[in-house]
Amino acid sequence: MGLLAIGTPLDWPEAKKEASKVREWGIEQLLAIWRRAKGKERDAMLWGDEIEYLVVCFDDQGRRVRLSLRQADILTALAEDEKLLREGGGVPDLQRGDARPEHVAPVFHPEFGRFMLEATPGKPWGIGFKDLLDVEPNMKLRRRIAKEHMHATEFPITLTTFPRLGCADCTTPAYPVSGPKLRSQFLPDEIANPHIRFPTLAANIRARRGRKVEINVPVFRDVNTPWPFKDPTVNYDLHNWPEDDDVRNGAAKENHIYMDAMAFGMGSCCLQITFQSKNIEEGRKMYDQLSPLGPIMLALTAATPIYKGFLADTDVRWNQISRAVDDRTAEELGEKPLAHDRWRIPKSRYASNSTYISQDPRLRPEYLDPELVIDPVLKARLVAGGLDDILATHFAHLFIRDPIVVFAEDLQTLDLSKTDHFENLQSTNWQHMRFKPPPPGNDTGWRVEFRPMEIQITDFENAAFSIFMVLITRVILSFDLNFYLPIARVTENMETAHRRDAVSEQRFYFRKDPFGPARGHPGSGSAPGSGTATPSLPPVEDEYTLMTVNEIINGQADDGSGRPGFPGLIPLVESYLDSVNVDVETMCQLARYLDLIRRRADGRLWTGAKWMRGFVQQHEKYKGDSVVGEEVEYDLMRVVEGIGRGETAWGLEKLGVLGKG
Amino acid sequence: MKLILSTSNIMGSGPSVVRRPLVSKSNAELTAALRSNFDSHREQAVASSAPDSTFRSWSAQEGDKLYAPTLDTSGLAEERSAYDITVKLFYLPHVPPSKRCQHAKEAIDLVLRELRVSSIDLLIVSFPGIAFDAEDESEEDEHSDAASLSGLSDPTGGVIEDTNSIVQTWNTLETLHDAGTIARLGLSEFGSHRLARLLQSVRVRPSVDQINVRDCCVVPKPLIIFAKQEGIELLTHNDCTDILPPGTLRELLGPEKGIGILAPSGCCNNSSDGLRGDVIPQWVVKYTAVVKDRGVVENKGYFAAAELQDPRALVSLLSC
Repeated sequence: MGLLAIGTPLDWPEAKKEASKVREWGIEQLLAIWRRAKGKERDAMLWGDEIEYLVVCFDDQGRRVRLSLRQADILTALAEDEKLLREGGGVPDLQRGDARPEHVAPVFHPEFGRFMLEATPGKPWGIGFKDLLDVEPNMKLRRRIAKEHMHATEFPITLTTFPRLGCADCTTPAYPVSGPKLRSQFLPDEIANPHIRFPTLAANIRARRGRKVEINVPVFRDVNTPWPFKDPTVNYDLHNWPEDDDVRNGAAKENHIYMDAMAFGMGSCCLQITFQSKNIEEGRKMYDQLSPLGPIMLALTAATPIYKGFLADTDVRWNQISRAVDDRTAEELGEKPLAHDRWRIPKSRYASNSTYISQDPRLRPEYLDPELVIDPVLKARLVAGGLDDILATHFAHLFIRDPIVVFAEDLQTLDLSKTDHFENLQSTNWQHMRFKPPPPGNDTGWRVEFRPMEIQITDFENAAFSIFMVLITRVILSFDLNFYLPIARVTENMETAHRRDAVSEQRFYFRKDPFGPARGHPGSGSAPGSGTATPSLPPVEDEYTLMTVNEIINGQADDGSGRPGFPGLIPLVESYLDSVNVDVETMCQLARYLDLIRRRADGRLWTGAKWMRGFVQQHEKYKGDSVVGEEVEYDLMRVVEGIGRGETAWGLEKLGVLGKG
Repeated sequence: MKLILSTSNIMGSGPSVVRRPLVSKSNAELTAALRSNFDSHREQAVASSAPDSTFRSWSAQEGDKLYAPTLDTSGLAEERSAYDITVKLFYLPHVPPSKRCQHAKEAIDLVLRELRVSSIDLLIVSFPGIAFDAEDESEEDEHSDAASLSGLSDPTGGVIEDTNSIVQTWNTLETLHDAGTIARLGLSEFGSHRLARLLQSVRVRPSVDQINVRDCCVVPKPLIIFAKQEGIELLTHNDCTDILPPGTLRELLGPEKGIGILAPSGCCNNSSDGLRGDVIPQWVVKYTAVVKDRGVVENKGYFAAAELQDPRALVSLLSC
């Protein structure tokens, strides 16, 4: 989450009336950024990771675990920690103590959920290989500092979702459900961060939609699961708000777990990595090349098998967040003919990328979505302001949305030295990659954020996946790799990644040859995005095929017709490491990280999702009916909390996190 | 005649370099990269329908040296200070140590021309027949190290590698260091005993020792402690010591499976454009230019030098 501005937020539909103004001003601010930073060059490779925590509170006597809603108190305690402030850490949003140029201690941030914390390193990481060795200890330090500012019964946990979020008595303190902002029948308004931005975000999404958000996750059908499954926790007799009609109108789908509030999605923890590129061109290239890796890394980090006290038939969080912030109207969704809204929109604001943005000659027009919805007026303004067609298209696509949270104070004058209106749209487009322009006022460069990965239970795993992605970016740039495939296939892969055990059971569209066509190849003569087919290259369909995650990560022996197959991301990383000077100690640590990923991909190790599912199913209190009860949850969370201290439990050896990690 | 073979920049040219077998040692990288570079030059020559599409059209002869392909001196994209340039020089078995001084200068000079720079940051030298053995090291036993020093462990039966010849070679490198051509010197596959012995007799100390520990992280404690004490950085590599055996090179250059720089064996075939004689690899050099603060490998490649010897001279060599 970005910095939290203070002001008077407009309710819907007042905010709607200002939407065009915010968009137009946002575009002017973008053009100001473009004029200032388009020629920014030779920035170093810097990167940062974000770790998000759930804060849970154990009741050992009652064998219960609940979410702690003391985020504000914990952040205050962190913000007042003299030692942390001296070392440049703390909580910048609370703005106590002086800002220090030399940030070293970790930094903590509020998140949407009042039970969440986010922690980042105090300063960005470099690419020096010894820097990479500091990542895991720093993640452990962040966890320890967070823990030190909590009560004895409270712990920071890195799970995507709290297993029984939305069940009765799942928070401490407890609050009544069905509040005016969320109007959820499962969660209290107090579940969200009380900063005015967050309840407004939730309320205006609901208001814009015209009903509550609607999240249906397929339930896992176990031996004793009643079938057809009707979510037994749904209350059809509530009459507090007009939106209580949603369930009577069929919002809760058969054989699905039903959820009705933004917090079910935005309360998820993720592992996000941001990379600084040397210039805008390299940033655009990285954005495009990392895009097809998104679904693969989502499947490989799968860690979300439980929702609202039930085993789900999916393994990842992505679509639930997507639906939890889906503000599209019935017209935009295509349920009603267009009368008031401007266009049909195929995806939620939280969804996989819908376009590529690089001027790479290898980007064939066939990879793009011909139906991509854009705002033609805003695009024309961007092109007139100097943006090239393909980048203008990208932003004109992001800007088809309405701003959700609009502060009255910001609508007085347009300030081109600020980026608030631009960021309003940019940061509420939650795609799986984000292309981030340099912020005003410091020397930060063009950046790319990789957002699909699920948070892992241990810091060892989180460090492993972060560093793997860092190495992948270096591999892409060094070998000039080409992972392009039609963006529609990336979207399909994103769906595939949701399937239970997709890492072992599913196949994904992936480019067969990451090396071709060679640089300077006459192949793609026509300009990218020009909409015409590329002459003299093989059909796009011949460039890619279905592969398992194992084949993508570890490589194929051959492609089935005797030619060399896809080389594999880990062998590519190893080739890269062979080409740079790495000291013995670093290489051994990197080998541990790569080994975890190698074995997660080939099935010798399990994803977090598979382990949690197995843990629930073998628990003596589990009845084979898909229900994850309070005691099962308690034991699961106790194990998750204890892993870092080397405690063992059922199946942990299959997670590959024991031992030194 | 002398052959100077080059891979050109193997980054980004992709396939030959990173293709399977990816896990093998980097001898495969060298041979595949040479082959692919030859092939692509031949294809270009054929495609441009030059009157002469033999290797002559894409190689260059300067004096008694044949460059195949012609040296590509497009250089680096950014200014010199942005890069970390590491060069690894492989001395080969069967080549007399007396030639090493000259070989070092030749090899470094080629790299400097290729990258259009006047200095490199690190030169690592690899001596034939020296392979680090973790078990020998952990025994802390002078005898085992002495045994490998005597050259008995060299399976190819090449020259005997003794401390004297290593020190002599090192002295040449020291002069290149003094001249500012090489900022730091390093070694490959040295155990602590061998390192200790070398340190006694050199003026410019090695700052790097490269060992092959790809598959196991069991670097012996004595070596780690010794290296730390002496301020020597232990780096990893994945190269094999006998990086270019004569048979491999002959095949690469030969008329049947290779590029046809060499004429078919036998003396009756005069129709071939190929060169005659026996090819003897002299040295191999690998270079990498990494953009320091971005970790991007911008240029990586190899040169290999070989002597082409008159068959009659070879006969007399073998008979003595």
